[in-house]
Amino acid sequence: MASTTLHSRLSHTQSPAVTRSSSSLRQITGNSLTWSRAFAPDRLLSAVSQSSLRVVGGSVKPLITCAAGTEPVAAANLAPGTPVRPTSIMVIGATGTLGRQVVRRALDEGYDVRCLVRPRPAPADFLRDWGATVVNGDLTKPETIPATLVGVHTIIDCATGRPEEPIKTVDWEGKVALIQCAKAMGIQKYVFFSIHNCDKHPEVPLMEIKYCTEKFLKDTGINHVVIRLCGFMQGLIGQYAVPILEEKSVWGTDAPTRIAYMDTQDIARLTFIAIRSEKVNGKLLTFAGPRAWTTQEVITLCERLAGQDANVTTVPVSVLKFTRQLTRCFEWTNDVADRLAFSEILTSDTVFSVPMNETYQLLGVDQKDIITLEKYLQDYFTNILKKLKDLKAQSKQSDFYI
Amino acid sequence: MKRLVDANPVGLGRRSRQIFDEAWRKFSELGQISRTTRTNDESSLLIQEGGPMCEFAIPGAQNTTVLVVGATSRVGRIVVRKLMLRGYSVKALVRNADEEVVAMLPTSVKIVIGDVGDPATLRVAVEGCSKIIYCATARSSITVDLNRVDYQGVYNLSKAFQDYNNKLAQLRAGKSSKSKLLLAKFKSADSLNGWEVRKGTYFQDAVAAKYDGGMDAKFEYSENGDAVFSGYVFTRGGYVELSTKLSLPLGSTLDRYEGLILSIGGNGRSYVVILESGPSGDTSQSSLYFSRISTKVGFCRVRVPFSSFRPVNPADPPLDPFLVHTLTIRFEPRRQRPSEGAVGGSQDLRSFQMILEYIKALPTGQETDFILVSCTGSGIESSRRESVLRAKKAGEDSLRRSGLGYTIIRPGPLMEEPGGQRALIFDQGNRISQGISCADVADICVKALHDSTARNKSFDVCYEYVAEPGKELYELVAHLPDKANNYLTPALSALEKNT
Repeated sequence: MASTTLHSRLSHTQSPAVTRSSSSLRQITGNSLTWSRAFAPDRLLSAVSQSSLRVVGGSVKPLITCAAGTEPVAAANLAPGTPVRPTSIMVIGATGTLGRQVVRRALDEGYDVRCLVRPRPAPADFLRDWGATVVNGDLTKPETIPATLVGVHTIIDCATGRPEEPIKTVDWEGKVALIQCAKAMGIQKYVFFSIHNCDKHPEVPLMEIKYCTEKFLKDTGINHVVIRLCGFMQGLIGQYAVPILEEKSVWGTDAPTRIAYMDTQDIARLTFIAIRSEKVNGKLLTFAGPRAWTTQEVITLCERLAGQDANVTTVPVSVLKFTRQLTRCFEWTNDVADRLAFSEILTSDTVFSVPMNETYQLLGVDQKDIITLEKYLQDYFTNILKKLKDLKAQSKQSDFYI
Repeated sequence: MKRLVDANPVGLGRRSRQIFDEAWRKFSELGQISRTTRTNDESSLLIQEGGPMCEFAIPGAQNTTVLVVGATSRVGRIVVRKLMLRGYSVKALVRNADEEVVAMLPTSVKIVIGDVGDPATLRVAVEGCSKIIYCATARSSITVDLNRVDYQGVYNLSKAFQDYNNKLAQLRAGKSSKSKLLLAKFKSADSLNGWEVRKGTYFQDAVAAKYDGGMDAKFEYSENGDAVFSGYVFTRGGYVELSTKLSLPLGSTLDRYEGLILSIGGNGRSYVVILESGPSGDTSQSSLYFSRISTKVGFCRVRVPFSSFRPVNPADPPLDPFLVHTLTIRFEPRRQRPSEGAVGGSQDLRSFQMILEYIKALPTGQETDFILVSCTGSGIESSRRESVLRAKKAGEDSLRRSGLGYTIIRPGPLMEEPGGQRALIFDQGNRISQGISCADVADICVKALHDSTARNKSFDVCYEYVAEPGKELYELVAHLPDKANNYLTPALSALEKNT
């Protein structure tokens, strides 16, 4: 499929007014995105500065240009076939933490859900079990995408590359191919999940990519909604709650960063309200939980609810940062370095939160319907402690019989 | 020797690598913000697939098997998905399991091949089911098709389900809580014993009584095996009645039942059923309760819920079925309407004939057993509407008489759009004018499964609308489907039961 080959070019230069360093020039030529990494001492400073995007070698054009948007590719609906039903949606990244909630919500609201999953030996059975249709495709192989999009009205993109794979293949190249394909095939709405503050931290590769994708999506002119997220409550379970219950060591940092965690079920619910609302078209929404928490606060809360002390290993942020610098020295640890890039944010006193009143009003949602972290973790611990108790009772009984 | 194995450098290396990997994983997680790590599956069960932390989870859903008929229809498709999300076991009845159909249904739905028109296949289908949701509808408006799916289908399925319940109960050496209680069956001359024919008038008018034709009635067993109650009442204000003392089988009381069902034939008169309740030893303290029933020419089954009985003396408390000791069927010439159909040109409304087959009591229960998606008829072309509605109505009636707890949902014209967006109106009496999304209908079906207010109700449902000024027929009560509120219970508790 010719329309999926990429002609986008991207480069990232820092605003010359603030720092004249060309160290963080990133450019995409053809099908590749490259970052030249350098250890600029003023990295933090540059993070604050708003980065501007330009086309390399071109005049003052928007940095990201979409081939499908500029070239007269057959973007229009040529055949007067049956109109696509508005209830038909495609979820990308449906097996993920957020994706599965989105699929569930969609099915419950009566959508016909198609999920793009990578072909693998053990297929995502739970999706088919709920009643979604599963199609095989791989964002890293653009030729597999177009066939899966036939008859789709809305694409909901909750995909992010797995930690163990290089960030840019899925998150950048794959997404660009997908968006171009969606444009070419006349998909009527594209919902993209991004990260809060991603425009402010170009030094973090994932955030940079998300931000570039936002821009790219806007430039294609496709009908879209961008939703920026802060953090998922579901993630805290594996990170803190389970280790505390299992009396294993919990790793935390002493970072002062605060994150407004949100339940993915709430995110999914709000997302569908946003999709159906005409007012939200083309807008950028940020979803944040009711309150921002530091790591320490979350651990304290878990300890209180679990009724036992956590064995906390606090890692100073400086160690994280040092490790990142170290891993960046070697080619083979670059992926690791990318993942540790968030430590750059952790040192800053950022708050990952945003007042939600306007969003609630826009979507017509009542604030009290949004679950708080206290309530969420309390539910979790009540349920798990009850289950553990049941298990214990069972094992006692079997002892009795022996 | 053992020491040596322990000191095996490969093993040591592996162990140290495991420790290092674990530590490294934790370490690199520290830097994450929006990415979550994959938790091990056991703990994720709680927050993910159908555990109590999932917003869709319903306690008790695991032990409930629901048979969905018409699982590939517009509503049925969504019903199946909703049930799966909530952790129910789902059986889907399909006519043929070709690839297209199977692909449409979730993988762990149990597919049963069968046809609602074929009772034999239904016996297999209802096995192991505790609830039925019927969303099938005829694909054409040919009368045969309509009858087969919308009427006979419902009848066959409710019968198969009752048979299955009875079979289960017999295995437990008891009676199914869903089975009807036989109060009287008129199959031999002996069965007429205990029934007494009485005459009376509402007012003592000596002059009138002298000049009118009088009245007479008899209850007898005819040659062709029918118990016939027949006679005439020419006296103004007169009536004749057939009465018996109820003798219930040992251990059963009428408070476990919620109505009567009479199988009667005749010439289509209306009757008054009277229940006498009070302490059975002292009939002077009894109070009377009445309910009017109408019959058709020929045989029909009439359902009389206890809730439709009104006290003769308005000061009396509402009927308590537990105390009922006498049942009376009364004929009076007042308020009779000529019956439809060819009975002969000269009907005298003061004469009557009633063939009694049986009288049974309908069981109560907490929840609905059978949810039927019917239709209001709006949105159907006028040429077809009548025949469609007739078949649907016949299906509804057969369900009401089955003794199963039923919920009949009559949605407005179905629309293919996501549900939960607009407020809904629940109403009775064919007044609604709007459409409704398939997903909302499916949501009502699923919610009604465990809602005691949904038992034995029929209702219309559509999107909220604003009536034109001056044309407001009634106050519109809208209920917005939402995650937080259970809109169904308040909406339905305002509606009449046993409709």
